[in-house]
Amino acid sequence: MQFEVIAKCHTTRARVCRMKLSHGITMLPTFMPVATQAAIKGLTPQQIESLGITLILNNTYHLNLRPGIKVLDEAGGAHKFQGWDRNILTDSGGFQLVSLSKFTNITEEGALFASPFNGEPTMLTPEESISIQHSIGADIIMQLDDVVSSLTVGPRVGEAMHRSVRWLDRCIQQHEKSGRKDKQNLFAIVQGGLDPTLRDQCLDAMIARKNQVAGYAIGGLSGGEEKDVFWRIIKQCADRLPSDRPRYSMGIGFAEDLLVCVALGVDMADCVFPTRTARFGVALTFKGPLNLKLGKHTRSMEPIDKNCPCPTCASGMSRAMLHHVVTIETAGAHAVTIHNLVFQAQVMGGARDAILEGRFPEYLRSFFHSYFGDTGYPEWCVNALRSVGVDLMEGANVPLIQGSGAKWEYPDAA
Amino acid sequence: MAKPPAKPISIYVPKLTFTLDQGPQFGPRIGRLCLTQRSDRPSNHTIDIPTPNFLIGTSRGVVPHLSRDHVHSANAISWINVPFESFLEHTPPVPTQQTGSQPLHDFLGFDSSKHIVSLSLRDPLDAQEMPPNGNTHISALCMRGVKKVTLADWRSYVLTMQPDIAFALSDTPFTAVPHSQKRITKSIERSTAWLADLLRPFGNSTEDSPLESTPTHPLNVFVHMAGGASISARKSFSHNLTENLHGLEADAVNPLRCLDDGVAGYAFDLATLRMKPVPISVGEDRGRSIEIANNSSIPQDLVSLAEMPTPNTTRIPTSFSSSMNDLPSLSLSPTLGELLRVSLNSLPIAKPRLITDVRSPHEILRLVRDVGIDVYDAGWVVKAADVGVALDFIFPIPSAHVGLDLRKRDIGHNLYDSKYAGDFTSVTDAFLAGRDRTPSSISPICPCIACSPVTSGYPIHHSKTDVQSHQTHLDDGVGREPLLPPFTRSYLHHLLHTHEMSAHTFLVAHNVAVLDALFTGVRTIISGHADQNEAAAFFAREVTRFEDAYDEALSVLHTARDNWNDVKQARGKGRLARESGKTEGK
Repeated sequence: MQFEVIAKCHTTRARVCRMKLSHGITMLPTFMPVATQAAIKGLTPQQIESLGITLILNNTYHLNLRPGIKVLDEAGGAHKFQGWDRNILTDSGGFQLVSLSKFTNITEEGALFASPFNGEPTMLTPEESISIQHSIGADIIMQLDDVVSSLTVGPRVGEAMHRSVRWLDRCIQQHEKSGRKDKQNLFAIVQGGLDPTLRDQCLDAMIARKNQVAGYAIGGLSGGEEKDVFWRIIKQCADRLPSDRPRYSMGIGFAEDLLVCVALGVDMADCVFPTRTARFGVALTFKGPLNLKLGKHTRSMEPIDKNCPCPTCASGMSRAMLHHVVTIETAGAHAVTIHNLVFQAQVMGGARDAILEGRFPEYLRSFFHSYFGDTGYPEWCVNALRSVGVDLMEGANVPLIQGSGAKWEYPDAA
Repeated sequence: MAKPPAKPISIYVPKLTFTLDQGPQFGPRIGRLCLTQRSDRPSNHTIDIPTPNFLIGTSRGVVPHLSRDHVHSANAISWINVPFESFLEHTPPVPTQQTGSQPLHDFLGFDSSKHIVSLSLRDPLDAQEMPPNGNTHISALCMRGVKKVTLADWRSYVLTMQPDIAFALSDTPFTAVPHSQKRITKSIERSTAWLADLLRPFGNSTEDSPLESTPTHPLNVFVHMAGGASISARKSFSHNLTENLHGLEADAVNPLRCLDDGVAGYAFDLATLRMKPVPISVGEDRGRSIEIANNSSIPQDLVSLAEMPTPNTTRIPTSFSSSMNDLPSLSLSPTLGELLRVSLNSLPIAKPRLITDVRSPHEILRLVRDVGIDVYDAGWVVKAADVGVALDFIFPIPSAHVGLDLRKRDIGHNLYDSKYAGDFTSVTDAFLAGRDRTPSSISPICPCIACSPVTSGYPIHHSKTDVQSHQTHLDDGVGREPLLPPFTRSYLHHLLHTHEMSAHTFLVAHNVAVLDALFTGVRTIISGHADQNEAAAFFAREVTRFEDAYDEALSVLHTARDNWNDVKQARGKGRLARESGKTEGK
């Protein structure tokens, strides 16, 4: 990996970076769409590329089950298998073990879980996770970590953090001896729950291994924790992580979360949110999400966003037409998925330009004004951005919203 | 009956012409459909469709599984039919509020320089039982149930939407056949009257083409050839079209001399002829129960397709074919061929003929050979894609293909089959992937997005720095030829088993391309012989070779449907265990 910081925001910790991997250059900060089963829902790789997306995520756990390592090896890796010759990042499979399997039992050796095929006990060790990711051949691979829900408290959080550090060492060892370090880049995952002390200990340990890792992820968040705690942990990690390594915040997808994370110094994020919400009929816009299922869109001849460069909006596809097909026709899902991916890319692309041109604070202000101006600013966003020198409330006459403040278009009153 | 507001609307529908280049009244023929924008329109382009060719139907206004960019990049798609009934959920229907001169194209995102878009009220593939029609209304189906559409409604929808081609309403009884003589008579009378109603002049029709010797109608109207399974009723309906009108009837459709003057083409809906007959036949006419009706249920959607019984192998599922066991003759089932020809017998030869709900390439080829149908509905290739089948057949069969293999080949691949899990070839044997073409290769190329994917030329840039991502990627030449490697059977197998929608996108695009190649082959054969009889004989020989080579029982479609159903039913938590249990059980 060649990683270069090419611009820094004069006020916040935001930065623009150039990350060159085996399958091309990806400009950061960026959002990574999720192709769980080696396909972005309903679209083709050529479509994804035409949307200006250069880095997608595949799930190790799923690809290991189907098509399986044998097929991936024969295909020559996941890039060739799915016809995508841009960059891929794979997770380690740890998160799915916790979220999808009831019977997962974490031991020092690895994660013991019931095979979804036959129920037999199966062990996923850090070494095996790395070797599966070698078969997949992703440009960025993640260490196997011991994931606990972000709502977990007590000694289990510390245990998981310490074990994640030990597992990182085993992943590093497995990766070093594979001879694939020139093609694939291992990222460490900072754990420690919501406890700043544990996070610091984890950061100490993982920063000490900096020469063996290409980048860092901030894990164990986005699990329903208080947003005010969330941003503080992100800030704590982003502040301390080395500036010459990319920083990846896992599972972040709401536009406001993305921009706050970018302001705190995060370079990459992924989430199924934009693609999943599209299938439920929700289009993302700079004025907030648009629930196309709602009756009020029945006769609207407007596109989702007339300024949007995505093929759906550029073709003039009206909200009325989308209302007619979303959640019924697959082509309706495709249309909104295309739009939402471009929206995410526009939010991040706009941030890159703003940082480069020294106007990132204004970009934040204008984004929040457009997105939340009618309802109110989430207080946690205001607090988070104040911590990096941007005061959204300055000159703005907008109420503050407690809680997550995430915007949603609810059905008309029944 | 709600009267639509009388708006002074001008008709801007382009002119459809059909040229019959070669061919007899009933037999292989080639021609050209040409849609020409009227001279007063700003864009002065034409759309040319060589025939025989196909049309693709939409579901809720979209080509199934294809996003707009894929519809536009699929060059095979040139005629799209839109059943309007799904839009009846709201009153007035939402598309009628689209502004602009081509509201139907604009609302649905089709390209007026590339796509002929026709409008029918009902989905011609839907033959499920419906409440009866009235004298001035027809029952149509939408998600909110059955809606009555009056003649005035339909006229106003057609006038407002301005489709390139409009289908006149037809009184088809959607109840079990045989129908009573009274019902058949009523159907003929209503269908005639309803056609006449659509052909009544619109505001500006009198100014239309005074120079033409034959009066025409400003709309391009296709009429469904009514009469069901009754020879006499079909004759009678055709007679009604060509009969010179007098008095009030003539005034109503002035300046047309007869209804046929205002008809641009003839349509046959096989779905209505495939309805299951009641076993005991009564009366001479109804005794001619249609042989094609083995499968009573016409697949409406994936679910009913899945519910269709798997036919036993001794019967041919789409029995619009000779019975292979009994008859050496390979002609159409005489009854059906007769039905179609009887309708056309007294009509002008040089008007396009369209058929919906064909179900196999065999059926298409015989309809070309024995009747001379010009346009075929592509619904069956979409349904094949729905259940995971990649079509793989070619017409004419290259001489190199002459098989030593006595077993007939399947017309496609059931990509659910585990034998494809590790198969890294492109989805067809009959066609090359674009990337595998060499100067010496003789096999044709499949141009679809699965076999010949191309690099996106101009990705969207989201910031000024993005040029670095795209420029250097081009410079590095990492797999940057414009033609990319084909998607493999292995990948599509994986997508099907993981319920990824992309599988169906690839398969619809591919199957449509294979169908397009079939018609290219058909036209090449027919046009290769200037002498009509020679062409017919040569074509018939090629059809026989095709029938000998490819399995007409379509067992691959039935197996695929079962597999599709298994995967669908296993869906949900614990599906991997259920699916692997199923595999072991076999």
